[in-house]
Amino acid sequence: MSRDLLARLASRWQGVALTLVIGSGTLWLAATGQLVLYIHPRYVVFTVVMIVVGMLLSLLALALGGGDDAAQDHGHDHGPRPRRRLRGALTAAGAVVTVGLALGLILLPPATLSSSTASTRGLGEGVAVAGPAAGGAGGGAGAGAAGAPAASDAATAKYTVLQWATTLRQTSDLSFYENKRVDVTGFVSPSPTDPADTFIVTRFVITCCAVDAQPVGVTVYAPNWRSSLKPDQWVRITGAFTANPSRTSTASIALVPRSLTPVARPADPYLT
Amino acid sequence: MTTLRTADEPALGGDAPHGEHGEHADHPPHPRGRRLLGAGLVVLAALVAARAATGALGPGILPDRLQDFVTLTLSVIVESMPFVLLGIVLSIVVQVWLPATFFAAWLPRNPVLRRAVISLLGVFLPVCECGNVPLARGLVVKGFSVSDSMTFLIAAPIVNPITILTTYQAFGWSDGVLVSRVLGGFVIANLLGWLYAKKQDQDQLLAPAFAAECRVDAGGPHHEHGAGMRLASSATLFRREMATLLPALFVGAAIAGAVQTLVPRSVLLVLGSNPVWSIAAMMALAFVISICSNVDAFFVLPFASTFLPGGLVAFLVFGPIVDIKMLTLLRTTYRPVVLVQLALVVGLVAAALGLVVNLVA
Repeated sequence: MSRDLLARLASRWQGVALTLVIGSGTLWLAATGQLVLYIHPRYVVFTVVMIVVGMLLSLLALALGGGDDAAQDHGHDHGPRPRRRLRGALTAAGAVVTVGLALGLILLPPATLSSSTASTRGLGEGVAVAGPAAGGAGGGAGAGAAGAPAASDAATAKYTVLQWATTLRQTSDLSFYENKRVDVTGFVSPSPTDPADTFIVTRFVITCCAVDAQPVGVTVYAPNWRSSLKPDQWVRITGAFTANPSRTSTASIALVPRSLTPVARPADPYLT
Repeated sequence: MTTLRTADEPALGGDAPHGEHGEHADHPPHPRGRRLLGAGLVVLAALVAARAATGALGPGILPDRLQDFVTLTLSVIVESMPFVLLGIVLSIVVQVWLPATFFAAWLPRNPVLRRAVISLLGVFLPVCECGNVPLARGLVVKGFSVSDSMTFLIAAPIVNPITILTTYQAFGWSDGVLVSRVLGGFVIANLLGWLYAKKQDQDQLLAPAFAAECRVDAGGPHHEHGAGMRLASSATLFRREMATLLPALFVGAAIAGAVQTLVPRSVLLVLGSNPVWSIAAMMALAFVISICSNVDAFFVLPFASTFLPGGLVAFLVFGPIVDIKMLTLLRTTYRPVVLVQLALVVGLVAAALGLVVNLVA
């Protein structure tokens, strides 16, 4: 097969091929319950329906031979030579990116965002992280946290990292946290101010898709945690909040674990 | 205004064999179609098998940063894809299945009024920005002038029921965010439509490849009768639009993903409480994040506690029209100089609107 014919075939069918790539990747994610690693659960049904429509149209286009391509054979590469070369380079770069991502979608195991992105996105201690505290977007989570200072012990026992993080931003009154049992799951992010003895148990909160993931976290005081844990390890922690014993950490209140168990990544790693 | 095609013209040369792809999809299914379908199904089976086989591989294949870049980029693609498909389906309906005179019949003749009506078409076509690029392309092919289609292109992502609903859910009536957003989108769309209507040669606004496509389509087989013919045209259109738009979507998503992996979010957040900088920061964020207008209100809601409302409005007006992904998609249709002008006008109006909201609120 000549190179020219191959190029023509590629430019002719690249859209259909990419639709099939995205389609099989997305449907597989949906079938294995992992589509929520990329988008908010409320868009799963819409996404699956449209993807199925797209794949049927792709197969229809194949079955009908694709029609003629007269229009696309004109209008290319009439510019002066240097511009043509630049355009060629850009096209090649675009092709590399596109093929790379297509391979990634099909061959790489799906992943959640890591703690390094959490720190890029402003996970911190005592810093007003833009979390969905305003209510509304978080739905139940936001609404629950809004009434936090009056919440009963039974309610707070089920609090997620998000709800505790919101509560901690609202009140730093230690007496509020007395006798409150904490049971949270999240992944380990090193504390920026005391990386040796404290870490932040972190979750990402998404409102649309992984692109908008916002990290929220609760500072955990666990001296020398690196001896048994690594960043990004998922853990379940039970314990209670006290004044933070760490000298360098800027968080005034920290969670002191009674038990700290490494766990597998939950099926719904993002809070919504 | 210039009309790019006259729908009722007889098909001049449109039915003659083109280049080496002489055969038409007139009589499906023909042998080539069967071979292609077979090949497609084999590819599909290989994709599914590869995906299922590699799905259980452990994490840590890529370094953290690179993996996060891939995750973010794929998430933009997976999130946008259904909207792109919705837009293409609607575009196919407009181009192939609606009568040629469908819009011409009832749109007002007066240009200003006509554009005002067109900018409200979005109310019936719930597409966000990635979906309305193919739809606007379809409208141009259908005989809309470029400036008219531009009015639709810019208004539709904001003045559409899903966007209005999600913005209402997120903000209610507080601080006039919803009202400013919808009015802002409407005004910007009509302003740009009016500006570009002054351009005599509307073809000059289009990317050469797309302009050529429009000229050929003017004599194309689309308005032939018969369901089989229309089905074939639909399939061709789908193949062509996807071939143009999906690589653009991939590249746009990759750039957006890379910027987000590299630029710390805190840089933007520090700027949030200043009346002027909050607007610039939110517009920069909108440009980078490239998420669809149907859902961006939820995205921006968490920032309501740190940013002034003017910044949010600027985000909600600027983002749907100008962002990395959208510019790459628009590049398939318009000349670069048009994109620069468009970004400039939208940016200035969005910023002005944000300032007014900050002063009033």
